[in-house]
Amino acid sequence: MSDFEPRIVAFFCNWCTYGAADLAGVSRLDYPPNFRVVRLPCTGRLNPKYIIEAFKRGADGVWVSGCHPGDCHYIAGNYHARRKFVLLHHMIEAVGVEPGRLHFSWISSAEATKFQEVAREVVEKVRASGPNQSFRKAELDLGLAEVA
Amino acid sequence: MAKVVGAVMVAGGGVAGMQAALDLANAGYYVYMVEKSLAIGGRMAQLDKTFPTNDCSMCIISPKLVEVGRHINVELLTLTDILAIDGSEGDFKVRVRKNPRYIDMSKCIACGECTKKCPVKVGNDYNELLDTRKAVYVQYAQAVPLKYGIDAEKCLKLTKGRCGSCEKLCPAKAIDYTQKAEEAVLNVGSVILAPGFTPFGPRGLETYRYADSPGVMTALEFERLLGATGPTMGHVVRTSDHKEPKAIAFLQCVGSRDVNRADNGYCSSVCCMYAIKEAIIAKEHAKYDLQVTIFYMDIRSFGKDFERYYEKAKAKGIRFVRSRIHTIQPLADGGLRFHYVTDHGRSATEDFDMAVLSHGLTITAETVKMARQFGLAMDHYNFAKTSSFSPVALSRPGIYACGVFTGPKDIPSSVMEASAAAAAASSKLASARGTLARTVTVPPPVDITGEPPRVGVFICHCGINIASVVDIDKVVEFAKTLPFVEYASNTMFACSQDNQEQMVKLIKEYRLNRIVVSACSPRTHEPLFMETLAEAGLNKYLFEMANIRNHNSWVHAGNPVEATRKAMDMTEMAVAKAALLAPLTENVIDVDPTALVIGGGVAGLNTALALSSQGYKSVVVEKEGRTGGNANRLMSTAKDENVAQYLAGLQAKVEADPNISVVLNAEVDQVSGFVGNFETTLTNGDLVKHGVTIIATGAKEHRPEEYLYGQHPRVLTHLEMDEKFKAGDAEVAEAGAFVFIQCVGSRETGRLYCSKVCCTHTVHSAVTLKKKNPKARIFVLYRDIRTYGQREDIYKEARDLGVIFVRYEPERKPRVSQTGGKLAVEVHDPVSGRDLIINPDFLVLASAIVSGRENALGMKYKVPLDEDGWFFEAHQKLRPVDFATDGMFMAGLCHYPKPLDEVVAQAQAAAARAVTVLTQPKMTVGGIVAEINHDKCSGCGVCAAVCPYSAINLDPAKAGKAVVNEAMCKGCGTCAASCRSDAPALRGFTNAGLFAQIAAAL
Amino acid sequence: MTSLADLNQNIQTAARRALADGRAEVVFGYRQGTAPFTAAPHFARTPEDCGQFVWTSFARVNLAAYLPKYPGKVALIARGCEARSAVGQVVESQFPRENLYVIGVGCQGMVDPEAVLAREKRPIREVTEDLTTINLAGDGWTASLPKAEVLRRNCKTCVCRTPKDLADEMLGGDAPPLPADDFADLKALAAKPPQEKMAYFKGLVKDCLRCYACRQACPLCYCPVCFVDETRPQWLGKSNDAMDTFTFHLLRAFHCAGRCTSCGACEAACPMDIKLREFNRLLEEEVQKDWQFVPGASWDQKPPLTTYRPDDEADFIK
Repeated sequence: MSDFEPRIVAFFCNWCTYGAADLAGVSRLDYPPNFRVVRLPCTGRLNPKYIIEAFKRGADGVWVSGCHPGDCHYIAGNYHARRKFVLLHHMIEAVGVEPGRLHFSWISSAEATKFQEVAREVVEKVRASGPNQSFRKAELDLGLAEVA
Repeated sequence: MAKVVGAVMVAGGGVAGMQAALDLANAGYYVYMVEKSLAIGGRMAQLDKTFPTNDCSMCIISPKLVEVGRHINVELLTLTDILAIDGSEGDFKVRVRKNPRYIDMSKCIACGECTKKCPVKVGNDYNELLDTRKAVYVQYAQAVPLKYGIDAEKCLKLTKGRCGSCEKLCPAKAIDYTQKAEEAVLNVGSVILAPGFTPFGPRGLETYRYADSPGVMTALEFERLLGATGPTMGHVVRTSDHKEPKAIAFLQCVGSRDVNRADNGYCSSVCCMYAIKEAIIAKEHAKYDLQVTIFYMDIRSFGKDFERYYEKAKAKGIRFVRSRIHTIQPLADGGLRFHYVTDHGRSATEDFDMAVLSHGLTITAETVKMARQFGLAMDHYNFAKTSSFSPVALSRPGIYACGVFTGPKDIPSSVMEASAAAAAASSKLASARGTLARTVTVPPPVDITGEPPRVGVFICHCGINIASVVDIDKVVEFAKTLPFVEYASNTMFACSQDNQEQMVKLIKEYRLNRIVVSACSPRTHEPLFMETLAEAGLNKYLFEMANIRNHNSWVHAGNPVEATRKAMDMTEMAVAKAALLAPLTENVIDVDPTALVIGGGVAGLNTALALSSQGYKSVVVEKEGRTGGNANRLMSTAKDENVAQYLAGLQAKVEADPNISVVLNAEVDQVSGFVGNFETTLTNGDLVKHGVTIIATGAKEHRPEEYLYGQHPRVLTHLEMDEKFKAGDAEVAEAGAFVFIQCVGSRETGRLYCSKVCCTHTVHSAVTLKKKNPKARIFVLYRDIRTYGQREDIYKEARDLGVIFVRYEPERKPRVSQTGGKLAVEVHDPVSGRDLIINPDFLVLASAIVSGRENALGMKYKVPLDEDGWFFEAHQKLRPVDFATDGMFMAGLCHYPKPLDEVVAQAQAAAARAVTVLTQPKMTVGGIVAEINHDKCSGCGVCAAVCPYSAINLDPAKAGKAVVNEAMCKGCGTCAASCRSDAPALRGFTNAGLFAQIAAAL
Repeated sequence: MTSLADLNQNIQTAARRALADGRAEVVFGYRQGTAPFTAAPHFARTPEDCGQFVWTSFARVNLAAYLPKYPGKVALIARGCEARSAVGQVVESQFPRENLYVIGVGCQGMVDPEAVLAREKRPIREVTEDLTTINLAGDGWTASLPKAEVLRRNCKTCVCRTPKDLADEMLGGDAPPLPADDFADLKALAAKPPQEKMAYFKGLVKDCLRCYACRQACPLCYCPVCFVDETRPQWLGKSNDAMDTFTFHLLRAFHCAGRCTSCGACEAACPMDIKLREFNRLLEEEVQKDWQFVPGASWDQKPPLTTYRPDDEADFIK
């Protein structure tokens, strides 16, 4: 288990957390390289299916991060997203996905340090949860890139 | 004017010059951009970061550099000097000399081979001489134009006829030692001068030992030291012995606010902030607990979000010591001993490893010469003379200025002035608009219907930014194996103009129909690459970026193996998404050539006048019964200009202007529509159709709840005092003692910002009072005096006239009491350590400027406010008058407190920005917007309910199914995520594309 | 109300009146089924048709599910859950309120045949009912069970046994209210380790055939294309993969969140007797707790996923 490197899919809002990650880069704030970022225009764009899809495909963790409530570039996208997150977070944990696997945060484009802290925390918590063995498909269908 | 020429010359390719050039070029004028060096970019290109957001300076200007470099209506003349300006407003003949580059720009491919054998090492100006370059060189890595040049003064071939190695090595045969200077005469309607500044040279200040102590640097040198592209790649070391310093000290006001040793009485306005920035960045760069101390006289964090930045610096452990260092003594170990006098008057010494001299900004001798030659009036500091009411117009009609030329200022102020200068410079040229401008001819996009994806992948080294961590070759090889990839290669700088041209060629050569660039952030560079696609005849939306720099090499420097793997994954994700991208169409809508200006203060009226000079109509809506806003209450500017007279003139001009209609006693009621086609209903019932909106709603004076305000008739705010002045109040004239208290309601919890104007206002009032009644005793109780720029002169004047300045600590505010109507002000003087008691006849409170908290208005136009209630611009540095929402602009105090001259400049800037929209008879909408698949739509209305822009309706004509108004849709995708049957799709971010990315990520 | 016969008479009269008044072109209700423990949806367009309407404890489908497909005016003989679902259809623009006439009936709850069979092991030939009892008859025997003792699970915690607030017209007396679902079992489960929770929920759906009968029965599932049938992207694998099946139930529940009226049609339709509603209940609990929302409680309500409050709580977000 000690050399387990978790694979995490992150969904970031373009206007804030993605920018915070940009800024973390500019500021050379290092963090573990375990997550891959899907850039969204807004957390409002995050269909709950994406989170489940990431797990289905074997992600050990998922991290969703957007603008602080009230800061949405699109006025209210993150407010709507938050309601979905409340339900999804509750459901995912209630059906027995380890609490350390699914993470949500609000990080503004200026909060590079918070970004670094949360990035580290997410990776460590997913790492502590171990490999995702129960909330994934045994065999994957053909990847989309292959069938497109 | 007899003849009017539809072209403008902009002299100086710094950020101000670039902004002015772009605004003019986008408004239908042809622009000659004259730059005396090899490349544009100016001082900002040298900066590592910018305050107060710590944005990477190069990252934010590089898209602008490229935009200027490739704009069809900007003709870039590098290595060019202006010799003479003949003629007059509307029809100038400018004689220029184009100096030889000795390299044929059309042949140079910027490969750098020429530098390899060049034997001449020259101090590298870009790095402030901290390292060397060759005699053949490129100014900096991302320079525009990215072409090498030969330093004629140093080149052996050109000076002594020897060597010639570069000519032999150049694979493109671009070296041409025979080039000669050429003169040309350019015909333009106006000229904008943006020559910028040079840092004050501290050699003359012998006690600071700059000349002979390597540990003493200038701030610009230190900036280069911090820069990732600097001599030490951002590693903070003492250049002499490469030792990491344990303690660094900044010395403020070096060559500023100093008439004894430097002859520069003015405040350079930016040094406090850049010192704080450099201090923060230095601490971040150091892997250890670097001690940073800033020695200062007053901290002048007066701009938007500056005060928070200052507080943040304190919280990060940066030490601020109020003292002017008089002597630096070099120590044997390379260290430095500072001798200074503490705030309490005691002598002290302290040792540091490095000293950074926060030098002021000065005008170069060359600029002074030029200004004299062109017949421009200058002030005693050699800044160009302007009036507060026409802040960018110089003394010779038709010649304008922006940036530091008119006084020291920061980037956003320079950018604001640049747009203002564009507005002013074109104000007399409207009749010739479009006569010289060329139109863009983007080739019609190639129809790729039915073609399988053919993806081209470009992996960027970003110099060493990416390549020093990520194994680029490996990523390229991997990319070649990905489905649909037809072409993959590496590139030194993907964003360079060269590479853009190369991409266009490759797209055509390989018939690529999807492009992936693995480089830096799409937030900064996506538009640039999308334009390149368009140039290559590809729909610009067939593009995807992988951010392998900011999100990878910069943060995983210690783990090259994982960083490379991540770069491969990221590239794969981008390719997977790109393969599923579809060309997106943009539709054309009409633009209503009318502006709605909300607020009839000085800002609103100036905006309307500037728009009118370009031939555009405005409706100015003012909620009060008269125009003028806060200016109605002001007495005079810091330059002693009479505000009432100015305002009367302004109002008369507006009244006489057939393009402007003013609606009094009305506010905005309802708003619909979008850029190009807003419809606003006013509270009086009027319906205004307009293409752009300028918010200029001003701000209010804070009503103090302390210092007996409202309880004693002689405790007044600034504006109340001004009204008494204006009325010639007898009690004021006879009064013998005045106390001014600064920062009343500013710079404290809940209002953590500086109101910017109050120090100057107070000092100006004090001087006015003293001049009228030299016997009057005047006390100013302050925290930091912030008379920035040339305003410092009146601060000095006030002290010379005997005004007494007493500092107070925010923890020990002055106490005000009254006994039988007599006021008593008690204040603790931290210098003497004593409590003073003053009995003033009048107590004037420098009350904060507070936002009108126009949240409701913001909601109507979908524009945000920040936490202090100021309207929030699209970018704090580079888009200071734009909202993120298209067609929305702001001016004046609703953006942030500022003095009248800056209000006028911002108003003109807003007009210039608005003109770039209004000048297009049609504009395109669409692109990344939602669309509804009616086969999947049940008409349940979830999408319409969640749409933040009310862009979706259930259409009875379509069986109750949802339809999207493309012009109102902003592309957030909330609809697409909320629909249970996935009927809405957000173009560019489709389910299929995002699923492909998820699959590729794992 | 004295007897079931009276109630049936009143239903038929009300249905005829609705047709005669022009309030409806068709009346949705139930008629007797052809086998014991069954009833069939019945759509009456004439006074004669109305004669077949009965009140039944064996309704399996939710009549509101037929509303989106119907182009004209409808009178709905509605149990509480059906009235609430009809509200949902109106709120979600699937049926115009002005075309709907709700004939509400106080409901003692639907009877679970399995529960009856568990209590009565002898072969049953005939099943009849009264207002509050189920009457069974076999070869030479009769017996009677109180409905309250053999209710379907969802009916035991019904919060709308008497849809007075939603009906345009009420028939039958008030059914005494029941205590609402306290989710005690889910709360207890939530305290268990993740593996146990996962085992429980995966165990629930281990027999699922992915026949989608639950979806077909659900009044909320009116989408022209269901996500399970999508191919680009393919949200769900088409095979019987356990994770795909699990995903189906999670997303089905998610799509019902803040909309489900606990009518139980899904479970009634399931050929494998899967306790499908356990997934829905997870979210019902959350919707009630966080947003105090009861689906179908009023005609002008906004479903919780179409709106928000700036101060919505979400402590788990960092």
